[in-house]
Amino acid sequence: MPHTSAVEMRGIEKVYPDGVKALDNVEFEVCEGEIHGLLGENGAGKTTLMRILYGEIKPTRGEVRVFGEKVSFHGPWEAIRKDIGMVYQHFALVPTFTVAENLFLSYLSIKPKANIMEALDKARQIMDETGLKFPLNTIVENLPVGLQQRVEIVKALSRDARILILDEPTSVLTPVEVEELFTALKKLKDNGITIIFITHKLREVLELADRITVLRKGKRIGTIDAGKATPKILAEMMIGKSLRPTEAGREGVVGETLLKVENLVVLDGQGVTRVDNLSFELKSGEILGVAGVQGNGQSELAESIAGILKPVNGSIILKSEDVTDLCPSDRYRLGLGYVPESRKKGLVSEMSVTENVVLTNLHLVLSKGRMIQWSKARSISGKIVRYLDVKTPSLDAIVKYLSGGNQQKIMVGREVVRESDVIVVAEPTQGLDISATRFIRNTLLKLRGEGKAILLISSDLDEIYELSDRIAVIYEGRFIGIGTPDELTRDRIGMLMGGVEG
Amino acid sequence: MESLRAKKTEYITGTIEVSLSALTGFLIAGVILELMGYNALNIFNIMITGGVSDLSHLAGKSAPLVMTGLAFSIPLMAGVFNIGGESQLYMGALAGLVGTFFTGSIPIGLTLGFIAGAFWGWLMAALRVYRGINEVITAIMLNWTAYYFIIYVIIKYLPNPEKPYMSVQLSPHEMFSMTTAFWLSVLGALVAYYILYYTDLGYKMRVSGYNPKTALYSGYNPDKSILFSMALGGGLAGFGGALLVIGESSAIDTTMSSLYGLGFTGIGVGLLGRNNPIGIIFSALFFADLIIGGQWVELETGAPPYVSDTITGIIIIALSAPYAYRKLVQLYRLRRR
Repeated sequence: MPHTSAVEMRGIEKVYPDGVKALDNVEFEVCEGEIHGLLGENGAGKTTLMRILYGEIKPTRGEVRVFGEKVSFHGPWEAIRKDIGMVYQHFALVPTFTVAENLFLSYLSIKPKANIMEALDKARQIMDETGLKFPLNTIVENLPVGLQQRVEIVKALSRDARILILDEPTSVLTPVEVEELFTALKKLKDNGITIIFITHKLREVLELADRITVLRKGKRIGTIDAGKATPKILAEMMIGKSLRPTEAGREGVVGETLLKVENLVVLDGQGVTRVDNLSFELKSGEILGVAGVQGNGQSELAESIAGILKPVNGSIILKSEDVTDLCPSDRYRLGLGYVPESRKKGLVSEMSVTENVVLTNLHLVLSKGRMIQWSKARSISGKIVRYLDVKTPSLDAIVKYLSGGNQQKIMVGREVVRESDVIVVAEPTQGLDISATRFIRNTLLKLRGEGKAILLISSDLDEIYELSDRIAVIYEGRFIGIGTPDELTRDRIGMLMGGVEG
Repeated sequence: MESLRAKKTEYITGTIEVSLSALTGFLIAGVILELMGYNALNIFNIMITGGVSDLSHLAGKSAPLVMTGLAFSIPLMAGVFNIGGESQLYMGALAGLVGTFFTGSIPIGLTLGFIAGAFWGWLMAALRVYRGINEVITAIMLNWTAYYFIIYVIIKYLPNPEKPYMSVQLSPHEMFSMTTAFWLSVLGALVAYYILYYTDLGYKMRVSGYNPKTALYSGYNPDKSILFSMALGGGLAGFGGALLVIGESSAIDTTMSSLYGLGFTGIGVGLLGRNNPIGIIFSALFFADLIIGGQWVELETGAPPYVSDTITGIIIIALSAPYAYRKLVQLYRLRRR
């Protein structure tokens, strides 16, 4: 392996204006001509580190060297001139332009006087060298995602990138497309291109990378040769060892099955399978925790149970009633509660507390003449405010003026208030402070004690361990492991989350 | 308390904003008038007092504006930009004329006016929802389609044998006074208010307009809200067209001079009324006042009509710009998401 370093990042620290420390004294070195895997959970700081390298954000402290030269980029355009290219998870192509037009557009940023033929000749030459083929005259939005990604890679290379950063490149691809991508990346490496590969998938990083750096909670845990790494070692580095949390409040009585999901298949807008033939049962008085790295089908699973997404196959049975073909409001009326993962989705920030409570409880406040009885609505929102101790100046306060914790209480309270038997809760404590987190978790435990069936979807492993009676690990739309918290140790969950079974 | 204070500051900043806007508008207009060689204060005086001199005339003039203001504002609450109030009013005016002329019944004319406008508004929404065509583009095209359609129908099927440039005319007992027209428009605004704030349809519409994702999560279909809001807005504009024919003009002329521009003025009325049905009543009165006052300026000073049009335009732009800007930014952010 050649030993000149392509990238050297020393003592990188990034503190955001709100005081969140995203990166803490991170050292990162990539040798020229290697494929370097950058591994970590959500929020570990992988993407932040790479956005610093690409000049998109500035580090609070620290030094960046590219091919030995100290740099301080003011923006990506300067990074591009230093031969760095980045392929984002969400592509930066003009969707209504053809592929050729997109390539020309990006080529202009390094050669402002070039004509389209030069840009296309260059692109064709790269396509021949790398085997990354795609049609040039198709409108980008009509191309499958896999091909759009190839366009992105060729786009970066046609700007003479010698360092290529790929952010979670396989998350949008089918297995066949992943194989093709890996073949192409290995070819690129043979041509002397340095590749940084951001991922949370253990198998992929082991298959592809020469060396692997692991980040956890903004800190660098270590760098290891791929030849010496095993899934177990990597999982431990990624998740960390920690004690099993308290046994507090685990005395709920598990009863009858309230939710039954069978052979569920859900596709996203692009036709990529997001939930893959998934089946499970959820019983009264039970919390089933769904652990996994974000983007493995969690939100599609929740949305299809709520009826927002229509599954292409399978059935959903709520309290012995088949609700597969019902719309969300019918399911809410029949006893389903759903707390979505983001307050942006669950709340209308410009509306009042009461108006937000009405959202999923409209059937409770509507008169026969389809008139909204606001007095009834206010009494319901008053009940929620008292029950969950929501700090709000009044029931007519606009929710955007409330704190995140109080907004979350409204989202939870409004699903509980209509006596839902099954509650799907996604990321209930994301972005909340400690006391609000504590309160929401205790509320969930209390609800379980009352005999509710709760599906808890969370990317916070501590939360999963603390609350769940059973844990399921979701990976690429399937439950690849399911068991009690005792059966599934942290190491094992770490491996399962990275897609390593057995 | 937090929200009370927030509301209070909102009102205070709102008042300051309107005062500053009005001041800016009048200042710019004044400078232009002086540069053109007119006495600015004199002209402002005529413009503002002119309209108020005949209250029933003022009320009648504002009736169609209340309706086209609502036609713009209601769809905007659902996140749709209705530029088609103009032709929705045309269609309603024609239907109102035909209905009342052939049956002799005013209620039938008003109802047909509403239905014709509602259909025309729904059509624009349907093209967006089912065919993905931007509603502004369809509205601009359909505005002209309606314009020439009306002229064609009048000349071909409804000509007035005595006045070749006019359509058939309603007789006085088939009409009501301009004051009645105004009170009917107030009634329309109150009904709109009730629908928006006290029915599930209006509630779902407002939720979809603020945040389509939340609407989907709650089990409401934002597309349905778009169709409903455009049908309701269009219907109200059409109702306004019928009010105009039955309450004031009694006929439609082949140059469309009695109808032209009322829909576009409605955009300003809606924005100045801050999208609130009650606010729209007052903003329509203000607009009507400026329009009538503009005619007085022409009479008293001999200034050509575009002088008063320019002044009206500047004042309106200054008054609605801050609110329009915020609304547009919000709408733009929604669509980018």
